[in-house]
Amino acid sequence: MHKKLFVALSILMLASMLLTACSPKVAPTEVVAEPQATEVPAAATPVTLKIYLLDYTPDTIAWLKSEINPAFEAAHPGVTVEITEGSWSGWDTTFSGFFAAGEGPDIINLGSEMNTLYGESLANMDEYLGEAAWADIKNFGPALANATYDGHLRGLPIFTAPRYVFCRTDLMEASGWTGGTPQNFADWVEFAGQVSEIDEATNSLKQQALVPVDAGSMADWQWWLLVFYSLGGELYKADGSPNFDSPEALAATQFMLDMRQATYGAASDAVGALPTGQGSVIDVDDATGANNGAVCLAHSGWAAPAFDRPVWSNVSIEPFYGDPANFPNSKPVVLAFNDWLAVADYSPNKELAAEWLKMAFSKEANHKWNETMGLIPARNDAQYGYVTDSAQLKLEAELAAKYGVGFAGIEEAAKLSTIMQDALGKLITEELTPEEVVATIQEQYSAALK
Amino acid sequence: MPQNPYLNVLFMAAAAVVFIIACCYGLGSLARWIGKLRGASLKKQENTFAGYFFAAPWIVGFLIFVIVPMAFSLYWSFTDYRVTSREPATWIGLDNYTQLLFNDDNFRASLVNTLYLTVIGLPLQMAAALVLAVLLNQKMRGERFFRMAFYLPVVLGFNTAVLLCWRLMLNTGTGIINQIIRSVTTAVPALGYINRGLIHVQEIVTAFFLGLNTGKFNLLNKVIEAGLPEANRVPLWVQSPLWTKMSVILLMVWGCGSMMLIFLAGLNNIPKELHEAAEVDGASGWQRFWKVSFPLLTPYVFYNLVVGMIAALQIFEPVFVLYRDNQPLVSSTISMVYYLWQKSFSHFEIGYGSAISWVILVIILIITVIQFKLQDRWVTYDIY
Repeated sequence: MHKKLFVALSILMLASMLLTACSPKVAPTEVVAEPQATEVPAAATPVTLKIYLLDYTPDTIAWLKSEINPAFEAAHPGVTVEITEGSWSGWDTTFSGFFAAGEGPDIINLGSEMNTLYGESLANMDEYLGEAAWADIKNFGPALANATYDGHLRGLPIFTAPRYVFCRTDLMEASGWTGGTPQNFADWVEFAGQVSEIDEATNSLKQQALVPVDAGSMADWQWWLLVFYSLGGELYKADGSPNFDSPEALAATQFMLDMRQATYGAASDAVGALPTGQGSVIDVDDATGANNGAVCLAHSGWAAPAFDRPVWSNVSIEPFYGDPANFPNSKPVVLAFNDWLAVADYSPNKELAAEWLKMAFSKEANHKWNETMGLIPARNDAQYGYVTDSAQLKLEAELAAKYGVGFAGIEEAAKLSTIMQDALGKLITEELTPEEVVATIQEQYSAALK
Repeated sequence: MPQNPYLNVLFMAAAAVVFIIACCYGLGSLARWIGKLRGASLKKQENTFAGYFFAAPWIVGFLIFVIVPMAFSLYWSFTDYRVTSREPATWIGLDNYTQLLFNDDNFRASLVNTLYLTVIGLPLQMAAALVLAVLLNQKMRGERFFRMAFYLPVVLGFNTAVLLCWRLMLNTGTGIINQIIRSVTTAVPALGYINRGLIHVQEIVTAFFLGLNTGKFNLLNKVIEAGLPEANRVPLWVQSPLWTKMSVILLMVWGCGSMMLIFLAGLNNIPKELHEAAEVDGASGWQRFWKVSFPLLTPYVFYNLVVGMIAALQIFEPVFVLYRDNQPLVSSTISMVYYLWQKSFSHFEIGYGSAISWVILVIILIITVIQFKLQDRWVTYDIY
């Protein structure tokens, strides 16, 4: 019996190994180029540089795979670049798995506020990307601060995507609003009441005066922060404690509630949201010729219509002006978000990762990368061509340079997001008053920072 | 260890196979040795060896992928362990549990929401499954097609396409669900009053539960003050905190296919003679269902209740699917497992998340034990 069993097991083992050898993970076509690798002693051992990107356009990925990666692989024989495409929906679960295991992609895609969240687990890249190692670093604009943690570079920013106020001037006029984009809180609330229209048949909005981030609640924490900064608010006091007990925080919260009620009515008798349409909410539906329903949009450029849409002849782009009448420190603000690529501290290929970043973030490459998405490059010297040729993008770049405030440096950003969303959710249902909301955030966020 | 990634894959695969074989031999030999010590015959020792040898891959898998993670989770629940921090896990004793059970308002909110979904959603889910099973048990034409159609949601799960469909269907203004409600209430005005009454009652109940979360009942008072909604009011499904939980319940009901199949199997098992005898005695269809079918279905009801309650107490996907990208609404419907996910994978507090998972386990265990203790009072096993 033993002998038969041994034979059977041996066959099983051989079969398993054969099957494993045939599995798709093994031997991508690039390995065929191994003879070349053997010619360069330093690269005798093949290495795979893994990059994890989130929600990039097919054009961007195609460009990276057809131009950047082959060029990098040619310059580094024996190195294969592997791009994995993920999504912003569920990224945090995926990333926590990488960090828990201490193994994963060498380069990961992060958002503006995530430098504080992951900072300790990201590699210090000063040695490879600092000014002494790479002179190009001085060409990066203020977005570079978002790729920094604890005074050290952790990666490089790709683009800057500020949030503007886009308004349809034709719809404003049609609704009898002649004052242009509102420039203080009272005007905004009056504008919301006057311009928003309800379809009696469906008891839902058919025109919404302002659509900020999260059109339904009108109380997203990122929108709140933009309003808060426009009042001259600072997120932290001099001693580092949160500043949600400031007058600016209370005013921003009250503004959220006033706008929500002026648009949707009281929580106990709210009307329905705008129907879901095709394309940007301030655009026109080509199929029906009807407007998608929003008069103003407070969002990033990518949520606005494509630059070649005819609707642009009636769209203004402005910053959010705050409330100068009541808060003298108010200032026009565009809240600048950006994506950046960071090198994980667990990566055994930090130097290679830095080399890839230098190639993908050269002046021309940063320009090209952003051209595939219609966004503003993070490198100042890459803002030419399509950026200056497009009237809209040129204006956006100017406003960003003039009024840009970074969405970064937020301690315990994930916890603050949860705390604020929770409290602001209760604000719109009137379960909590604005005073209770800011007190709750102040208390919970203070505890989270300890 | 070779540095070549392709050789690494081969090496690891070979090592895994060798490891599994070694485990098989090891476990089989251990079992045989124990058998020998107990004085088992040579044949029995060989059989024992073979039995454990072939069962070993599953046993080893269970140990590695279930027992070991559970042990780590239990250990971490007594520590302050953050994935993104470079600090190792720090032993903090019962702090996570005391914080969770006595000081964490958000956990209390998630518990209340989960109970709402369980107490209101589960009976609706079971009722829908039972009604569908009874309909499919009529031996009508196309029975197989309908059975497949009603089971399809279980197969589809909650993927992106399903999410988009549901979001479109639940849109307040143009969603098909509200369109149907509008059409029906317009065509039959009497139903309009029922619809308004149902909306009012639902909003009052939800506002009450939301009040339990915060300890403040402002919203409840305002809903009551507002009175019966206007005639054109429709549910604000995925838009208002007053309707978020009901939207999740809709998804629960939609996924009742598994329960339906269990009920259908139960209905098929009921002897026809019992129905024929009742029919001869003059019992109507309604009476036959409640006096004959339902009592004999109670073991199946019990099974669905136990499994359904465990699933409801662990509900995550519908909440995640509907509200992951609509954060201000999350607090009104956050479930215990969503909170566990949030703490573990969004805030990276693995220690605290582990404590939540153990508390959930204990809650489920207690409720399940109570259900088993109470089954004698209402479950009939007479014909089985």
